[in-house]
Amino acid sequence: MTVLRSRLDTSSDEHRQNAAAMQALWDEVAEQLASVPSVGGQRYVDRHRTRGKLLVRERIEALVDPHTPFLELSPLAAWGTQDPVGAGVVAGLGIVSGTEVLITGSDMTYRGGSANPTTVAKNLRADEIARVNRLPHVTLNESAGAELPRQADIFVPGGAGFKHLTQASKAGIPSITVVFGPSTAGGAYTPGMSDYTVFVKGRGTAYLGGPPLVKMAIDEEVDEETLGGAEMHSSVSGLSDYLAVDELDGIRIARDIVAHLRWRKLGPGPSEPADEPLYDPAELIGCASADVRVPFDVREVLARTLDGSRFEEFKPLYGDKLVCGWGSICGFPVGVLANNGILFSEESNKGAQFIQLCNRTDTPLVFVQNITGFMVGSAAERGGIIKNGAKLINAVSNSEVPHLVLMVGASYGAGNYGMSGRAYDPRFVFSWPNHRIAVMGPKQLAGVMDIIARNAAAGRGQEVDEEALGAQTKALEDLVEEQSTALYATGRLWDDGIIHPSDSRTVLGIALSATHSAEVRGATDYGVWRH
Amino acid sequence: MIRRLLIANRGEIAVRIARTAHRMGIGTVGVYAQPDADALHVDVVDLAVALGGSTPAESYLRADALIQAALDTGCDAVHPGYGFLAERADVARMVVDAGLVWVGPTPEQISLLGDKIAAKRAAVAAGVPTTEAVEVRPGHIPDGLAMPALVKAAAGGGGRGMRIVRSPELLADAVGAAAREAEAAFGDGTVFVEPFIERGRHVEVQILGDAHGTVIHLGERECSIQRRNQKVLEEAPSAGITPEVRTALCDGALALARHVGYHGAGTVEFMVGDDGTISFLEVNTRLQVEHPVTEAVTGLDLVELQLRVAAGEPLPITQDDVRIHGHAIEVRIVAEDPATGWLPATGTLTRFDLTPRGAGRGSVAPVRVDTGFRAGSVVSADYDSLLAKVVAHAPTRTEAASVLARALRAAVVTGVRTNAEAMAALLAEDDFLAARTPTAYLDEHPDVAVATGPTGDDRIAHLLAAAVADERAARAADPHWGFAPSGWRNLRTLGQRSTWVDGRGNDLDVELQALDADRYRILVGPVPAPTEDGSLAEDTRRVAEIRVAIRGSGARLGVGIELEGVRRHLAVERDGDETHVSGPAGRTTWRLAPRFQDHDAVSAGGGPVSPLPGTVLSVHVEEGDEVTDGQLLVVVEAMKMEHKITAPGAGTVTEVKVAAGQRVDAGDVLVLLDHAEP
Repeated sequence: MTVLRSRLDTSSDEHRQNAAAMQALWDEVAEQLASVPSVGGQRYVDRHRTRGKLLVRERIEALVDPHTPFLELSPLAAWGTQDPVGAGVVAGLGIVSGTEVLITGSDMTYRGGSANPTTVAKNLRADEIARVNRLPHVTLNESAGAELPRQADIFVPGGAGFKHLTQASKAGIPSITVVFGPSTAGGAYTPGMSDYTVFVKGRGTAYLGGPPLVKMAIDEEVDEETLGGAEMHSSVSGLSDYLAVDELDGIRIARDIVAHLRWRKLGPGPSEPADEPLYDPAELIGCASADVRVPFDVREVLARTLDGSRFEEFKPLYGDKLVCGWGSICGFPVGVLANNGILFSEESNKGAQFIQLCNRTDTPLVFVQNITGFMVGSAAERGGIIKNGAKLINAVSNSEVPHLVLMVGASYGAGNYGMSGRAYDPRFVFSWPNHRIAVMGPKQLAGVMDIIARNAAAGRGQEVDEEALGAQTKALEDLVEEQSTALYATGRLWDDGIIHPSDSRTVLGIALSATHSAEVRGATDYGVWRH
Repeated sequence: MIRRLLIANRGEIAVRIARTAHRMGIGTVGVYAQPDADALHVDVVDLAVALGGSTPAESYLRADALIQAALDTGCDAVHPGYGFLAERADVARMVVDAGLVWVGPTPEQISLLGDKIAAKRAAVAAGVPTTEAVEVRPGHIPDGLAMPALVKAAAGGGGRGMRIVRSPELLADAVGAAAREAEAAFGDGTVFVEPFIERGRHVEVQILGDAHGTVIHLGERECSIQRRNQKVLEEAPSAGITPEVRTALCDGALALARHVGYHGAGTVEFMVGDDGTISFLEVNTRLQVEHPVTEAVTGLDLVELQLRVAAGEPLPITQDDVRIHGHAIEVRIVAEDPATGWLPATGTLTRFDLTPRGAGRGSVAPVRVDTGFRAGSVVSADYDSLLAKVVAHAPTRTEAASVLARALRAAVVTGVRTNAEAMAALLAEDDFLAARTPTAYLDEHPDVAVATGPTGDDRIAHLLAAAVADERAARAADPHWGFAPSGWRNLRTLGQRSTWVDGRGNDLDVELQALDADRYRILVGPVPAPTEDGSLAEDTRRVAEIRVAIRGSGARLGVGIELEGVRRHLAVERDGDETHVSGPAGRTTWRLAPRFQDHDAVSAGGGPVSPLPGTVLSVHVEEGDEVTDGQLLVVVEAMKMEHKITAPGAGTVTEVKVAAGQRVDAGDVLVLLDHAEP
């Protein structure tokens, strides 16, 4: 297979500046990541420990197999919102008893593990990841329930979580819940709907109504343990399948349960040599332009991501702004669609054809997005850009092989859709810190609004207040700029996490492996093609 | 001329006798008890005869069976080795009466010299300096015996039945115990008491006599390094005596040998006090365990000479032919635990390689190894706990000590605890190297007993080598994400933590964080625990960045660990749940502590346990008894020694779990105690 040849001059000023800019962006992300484990405040972390409890990430460290990786998903969910960074819940992919699983766990140190709207969204996304990738789901549960003042944004969508558990069960995807603390009211249905439940003695409780509500409703005086304690549920109600002596014992039991699943992945698994790229993945930090508007050759990213830098390029002379071809990542064969500029009709047609070919061979697709949109203008319209773009979107939407998206720069406009953006249900989306996402670039958007405002004024026969319009345009540009950053996007769960560029191979490898837990099969049918 | 020799022994000495016999063209017949059916000493002889039975009394001590075996297999001589029947005059007589050659002194000589009191009289008569010994019997102990005194069994040797008594009121107990032990071990409960030389050296002279009246000596050996009155390290010549004392000892030994017309190999033992006083101890009428050091410095084969004189040949050498070359030191590798008072250890030897070669082991100068054990051998409580003798011979004593220490540190013995590390530590001690070696050496140098091999950074490097080998194995076994860096996290709060337990049960926490393919950030030491207010205790762990280089794959690796700019190359062997690490600083064994506790395994708890497998001799308490700290509860006889099990604290006996005569295993709870509140 052809091997990519890098033309990147890593000693150039441009590379160094790109690397410095990326490092500065990453430093900001790293600072946010570092703040997540103690987002509840040191006082609450300490209080949690005085109760002899492990922090959620300590529980996960005990749950996963020694020395195996753990990919935390959406660790900066809720960034820039009123909810805590991380949303008070950890979700991630890990290996437990030799089995790839999805792990979620609530962070009891933030408001008693109560759920905020982002917690709900992150949990629902985790459910989706478990379902579409057919991953056993281990929940480390401990929650005071919904954050009541926010119930309006929680109650209705939150109900889907319990539905997901039983639907997963129906689909043969096991769920295991270890109850470390309270699981009250609706929360009681997390163990209630799980295939397996483990309750930690003297700690785990579950009841629909707590002692005060019981007193109010039926005038019964009862303590928590009697009402819904671990021992009661293990020996009387049957809600608990296993009674754990302590937290670590609960984790041990969960590991034993996963072991006895004897889980068999349905995907074909890796089939190619998983050798390192010829070019150091550490150089990815300087591959992307510091300024998202400055184009860069996406092949430099591929040369540092694909096994052995091997890449068999498809139609290299046709529609060259969309680089398509075959390679492998960590042994998993992939078809790659990577942007090297705007999408024209040729690029759209090429992409649609390539997606169909990959579906024919059950090959997962990796979309490397650095896209400022489809081409506009009369020439493009006359060339049928909408019609051809529709083909690409048709192919992307109806493709059934796993899609992974790596955001390495801009993601503007319908290009986001054509490149399997979040709304197109890719299995995973990961972003580099320089990622920008919006309906269009902030300057263009502000410029468009400026023109519309001028046209409206002209229509009304009014003079344009240049100062006011200038300020308004600038403010809009700033707002869009702020709302299109990688942090803003990850805070809203538009991706599954911001990653360090040099971790791209590791993250994509783990994600690809996870997708192979489910069957990997391509589509045969698509929507009607407009030729 | 001896054509076929029955070797009436087992273990290393049987193997060693067979080696010389075969070199001389003499056929060999071995014997074995049932547990030894496939032992090394059975493999090396031409033919071996099953004696049946499992204990010595049922097998190697059955003189009639041995003689019958010799006759049945056409042997013309019997070599008794040491121990068992070696110093039994009656057996020697039976052998001779059966028309066989007894490789040893005449029955009369054994009888005379084996009775320590008679031997002493003979020594006095021959002009050998000696102190007065008084024969005593339990219940009949004369007053006014000088203190400190040594209580000894008239029969036997090897420290069995020996007691040091420092005050008269303790004499009766000591005599009783010594008499019982002697009765059990040798069938003769006669005991005598003599003045005990508090500080001195044990020096002995090797003698050889033929049937033609020629008697020579092969110089002296010093055997002062002893624990429980049993030798553990011997050397030749003695570095702590003056030429005058040497002459006096050798002349005295020769005089005694001539006096009795000694025939065969024997050893005349002396105590040499710090003031130069010479005191005759006894004559051992057999080949000694420690004879190899004499062989090393004289270049002679003592078994060959034994066989020649037994066959009636004249000694092929004269006294003038005997020259001492350089210095030799022997260490007895014994299955025992120095740290717990040198208590015998038992088990199965999983690995047993005293002269290993290979990665990380450096080079070791050749040493002589005499052993009857190999990997897979079982070390039981029924037999001697001597696993092997390792002998170094060099131009100087210091060099011999260094070579031997290096060999002991490289030795690979797993499955059974040994004194190898302690002996390696001893060989490097200033006092030992300066030949300041009284018999009380090990009492005065308690650090030797707790030597655990590598210390400081050596120990940490060993631990890290074990941890990294484990980590590499774990990564290699990952069926899914083996491509990813070890312990990779996109949001890291902890490194990869593990707890390792060394061979002594000490645990050490390690946190590894892979930085790249061959570098790790490490934290070694106790993981900070939450304090009362929930904050974590101060982190006192050793933090460093290490570089690792791994050679080989699978269970045996060469691991280079660069810690603080110092690189060590170590051999790592993963064997089940144990990881063995060896290097020039010694050997360590590590076991990964389980990540999760087994809550179903309820501890038996409660009371003192048997320190080793053995038989309960007596029980001194009953249920309901109030006991004080240190009060005698049970006496367990094991490895031919009496072990007093005392109360670890004041309390009430809630249950006595054993009765006299009952067999117990190491770790069995003997008595349940309800401890009083402190």
